[in-house]
Amino acid sequence: MAKEIAGYVKLQVKGGQANPSPPIGPALGSKGLNIMEFCKQFNGRTQDKMGMVLPVVITYYKDKSFDFVIKTPPAAILLMEATKIKSGSAQPNRTKVGSVSWDQVRQIAETKMPDLNCFTVDSAMKMIAGTARSMGITVSGKAPWEENKEA
Amino acid sequence: MNYVELSLTITPDYTDILTAELAEVGYESFVETDEGLNAYITEDLFDEAALEAVIAKYQIFTAIAHSWKALEKKNWNEEWERSYEPIEVGRAVRVRAQFHEPDDSFTYDLLITPKMSFGTGHHATTWLVMNEQLSLPHTGLDIMDVGCGTGILAILGRKLGAKSIVAFDIDEWAVENSRENFALNGVEQDAEVFQGTITDVPLERQFGGILANINRNILLSEITHYVQHLLPGGWLVVSGFYEMDEPDIVQCALENGLTKVRTDTRNEWATVVFEKTS
Repeated sequence: MAKEIAGYVKLQVKGGQANPSPPIGPALGSKGLNIMEFCKQFNGRTQDKMGMVLPVVITYYKDKSFDFVIKTPPAAILLMEATKIKSGSAQPNRTKVGSVSWDQVRQIAETKMPDLNCFTVDSAMKMIAGTARSMGITVSGKAPWEENKEA
Repeated sequence: MNYVELSLTITPDYTDILTAELAEVGYESFVETDEGLNAYITEDLFDEAALEAVIAKYQIFTAIAHSWKALEKKNWNEEWERSYEPIEVGRAVRVRAQFHEPDDSFTYDLLITPKMSFGTGHHATTWLVMNEQLSLPHTGLDIMDVGCGTGILAILGRKLGAKSIVAFDIDEWAVENSRENFALNGVEQDAEVFQGTITDVPLERQFGGILANINRNILLSEITHYVQHLLPGGWLVVSGFYEMDEPDIVQCALENGLTKVRTDTRNEWATVVFEKTS
């Protein structure tokens, strides 16, 4: 018989760095879950993504057991990685701190697709490009759909 | 380490961006709330000026309200620790809390009050290492426990006949907790516990056995140090990584002159025993 779900906990934790402090401690501890067990599993599964912020959805059951799914990193983090910048622009509307190509936007969109409410890669790309602009990152070149229109 | 909780009231469009920005200035973890975002950072890294600078960047586009507070240091695992079940490793080792009745049919009775530290035997890696310890020589040896957590492995080492134990962890809870558990099990004599890493152990300290239940990345970067502290003929037990990472660990150990003795697995987690042959 399937275990009875008691609820979900959603957190964003840096890969390989889960520890029993807040917010993990209070979020899981208040449900009577074994926090150290979660930290060991999460850190073990994210050794390849050390330090990268990863959303995690924990399903916990009435018998105090749990399992969890690690999602793709937030688009803003992937954009920072792609541009190798340490933070967004001090004045995102005036000063651009980096640029990404549409190919990079596509890569990020494809990575993020499983976690986005988008039906097509193009719509995911538009969403990622919007986040880039808000951070002061330029998307260089023409969008693929504009090129297609011209052709 | 005490933590600071930052609460941001922002629109959903900016939660990702603020998460990325705050992660760059040291915030460790995040929770999306109905109002926006909560972010968590250790007190020593909290820098109000850096926070204001991040917020100022985006305030021209969107309204951002924020507040922060220092959080109390607390054992968040208390609820689980109040009712955990004893763990058995074969018929030799039983790990229990003080509220469990002892069972004399086991050779080694270990009392553990975890207090937010890792190592009760419930996790596959702790179980695996303890299981390996049962077949490794301990009598008269100096043993080192790297990343000791509750101190459970060092305690078993001592009960198996180790002459002395050196245990350390980077986490202050773990250090405090190991001391308590050493006392609970009557193994405080010739048992040293400190907060730190392998680089804090003087090179002249040599051990007949080293236990390291940590994680893949730390092991890959530290195996070379363990080898320097291992006496010829000494053994090293490593764990804290998944089966898929075992080949990398083995390769690293072999490159450092160790010989693989065996690998054991449980619930996809692995433990490997090595020996220093020369």
